[in-house]
Amino acid sequence: MTGDSRQPQNEYVEAAVQRLLTEHTHIAEQGISVSWRDQRLLLCGEVASQQRREEILRLVTEYFPDVALSVDIGVLSAREPAEAEELS
Amino acid sequence: MIRIAAVGDVHMDKDVVGRYRPALERLPERADVLLLAGDLTRYGTVSEAQCVADEFGDLGVPVIAVLGNHDYHCDQVSQVVRVLTDAGITVLEGTSTVLTINGIRLGVAGAKGFGGGFAGRCASEFGEPEMKAFVHTTQSIADRLGQALREMECDVRVALTHYSPVPDTLAGEPLEIYPFLGSYLLGQAIDSAPTALAVHGHAHAGSERGMTPGGVHVRNVAHPVIKQAYSIYHLTVDAPSAA
Repeated sequence: MTGDSRQPQNEYVEAAVQRLLTEHTHIAEQGISVSWRDQRLLLCGEVASQQRREEILRLVTEYFPDVALSVDIGVLSAREPAEAEELS
Repeated sequence: MIRIAAVGDVHMDKDVVGRYRPALERLPERADVLLLAGDLTRYGTVSEAQCVADEFGDLGVPVIAVLGNHDYHCDQVSQVVRVLTDAGITVLEGTSTVLTINGIRLGVAGAKGFGGGFAGRCASEFGEPEMKAFVHTTQSIADRLGQALREMECDVRVALTHYSPVPDTLAGEPLEIYPFLGSYLLGQAIDSAPTALAVHGHAHAGSERGMTPGGVHVRNVAHPVIKQAYSIYHLTVDAPSAA
């Protein structure tokens, strides 16, 4: 027996969250994957700052208050590269 | 040898100003030029462009950029380009620039690019006007990129795009969205000239390394892919022949 994640309306939620993250004027994140995992919506990806991670969580919670979230969003490193690649 | 630093998809706004600067301080010791592979901003506003200018202006090496799809969102492209240009950043769109580095002429041709997919699984200029316009847009951008690459008088050529010219560097992205991530037409344009390296961004979940059918090295430098402030590529170049 599968959970709600297989029900078609949940696929619409998945699509709606993905579009919200891209099209909302304060987010514009296209790099977050959205998928169902054991009846929870998993947000996965990397963003440029902790502030953007928090904005995403706040927005999704605001628009979809009844959806349980699992979050695996990291903040990208901006460290200096250790080495160069030689191409010839 | 030419040392090329590159990063794409930096998506600058006030919250990330200053994040790249520590890694950029030693850039002139490590690279001859910095390429920015589009999606410099989140929505393409003038204030975000100013953040790009603050972060990537006055680095001590030439900075060459193309715009990405995010940079078009607010329909302020000309203002964004002006802010970047005023900060000394060269912005390419179907155009090229040639730098002389230690006597070697490095030519960089750039264009944002667009989608359409890859050979055997691509969109065609057929059917509804919207579909024809979509493919025609990519074809026309690719034509200008190819012409810019071929017409440069230089010792080594580099192509700079936002969208991908090959599927190799999309590995990791869902197959279903490949047509929105790039086009083989860009690869064909790159292969129409003796290009040494093609750099792009856009595919955050893609992978770094690829090659065109013509054997040109392709690197996806989207920040989420390289996971560092920039990557550096060393291009070995034959000494220019005496005039």
